[in-house]
Amino acid sequence: MGKAVYKVRGGKLIKVHLTMENEKIKEIKIMGDFFLHPEETIEDIERTLEGCPLEERKLSLLIKKVLENKQAVSLGVSPEDFARCIIMAGEKNG
Amino acid sequence: MGEKWRFLDTGLNDAFYNMALDEAIVIARSRNLVPNTLRFFRWSPSAVSIGYFQSMEEEVDLQTCDEMGIDYVRRRTGGGAVYHDREGELTYSIIVNEDHRLISRDFQETYRTLCSGLVSGLRRLGISAEFRPINDIVAQGKKISGNAQTRGMNVVHQHGTILREVNPALMFKVLKVPNVKIRDKLIKSVEERVTSINAVLGREVSFKELKEALIKGFEESFRIELTLGSITDFEEALAQRLKAEKYATKEWNFRR
Repeated sequence: MGKAVYKVRGGKLIKVHLTMENEKIKEIKIMGDFFLHPEETIEDIERTLEGCPLEERKLSLLIKKVLENKQAVSLGVSPEDFARCIIMAGEKNG
Repeated sequence: MGEKWRFLDTGLNDAFYNMALDEAIVIARSRNLVPNTLRFFRWSPSAVSIGYFQSMEEEVDLQTCDEMGIDYVRRRTGGGAVYHDREGELTYSIIVNEDHRLISRDFQETYRTLCSGLVSGLRRLGISAEFRPINDIVAQGKKISGNAQTRGMNVVHQHGTILREVNPALMFKVLKVPNVKIRDKLIKSVEERVTSINAVLGREVSFKELKEALIKGFEESFRIELTLGSITDFEEALAQRLKAEKYATKEWNFRR
């Protein structure tokens, strides 16, 4: 399993655990001390990312789209920050 | 001062009930069964709460907590892991309709407004407290209060800590550190970044004195009148149910 911790500018922490299959995300858990409203959006993000390749731009765009669709707001972290941490976890996978 | 809010002081309770009662009040408020509410509460036994998005196993030293009889619970709000000391901390909750004049669509703005009640209360005690984005209140440049907010069912729910006393060594006993070698360093850094009411004022401030100052602070800064009330039968029954079915369950506490 790939794990990464990323400290965002401003101090919030993102933690990602993921497993890969055929160069794609199989399972992913995004954790941390950030704020995201509504909170359940995190599960929508995780589900959306399953099956995606580890491409930073693509990941952050997908996350942005989920936030738009759910009219969700994040505080202290951005889609780019999530994507960065996911890439870091992917690099440590295996 | 025409606008009346309910004030609750629910005293010492366990972590699961404390978090369940917050949610029960939110639901009661959303059904218009109760007025806007300010609640003070404390934790017995002492407890750790983690943010909605955190992993219990990653953040909390469960074995130490079990040995020390410290509860651990997941909050319905985001943010970080907090150690709530029975004697060291006063906790508050604000439950208010989303269409209230104090509430902005902007979360950051709303944090600032709702925290202004605490800031004003702390200033009454002689502490030059200030709001520090995103969600902290600082005194002498150090954190003295942490706050977390969520919304749903047309209700805004914010809760947070007010540190009367702080014990960084104990904090890092119950919270997990990335590796033990840096534990001392972390304790030192918390000593440099976190303070308490007693430390700032250099005297022992009782919970009674603290609460009285905060009540006046909230009344002044929110332009409201707080009336001491009690929880309704509906809220009590719902809190008991939410405790049993949600906050005291493994499914909820270990879901991430």
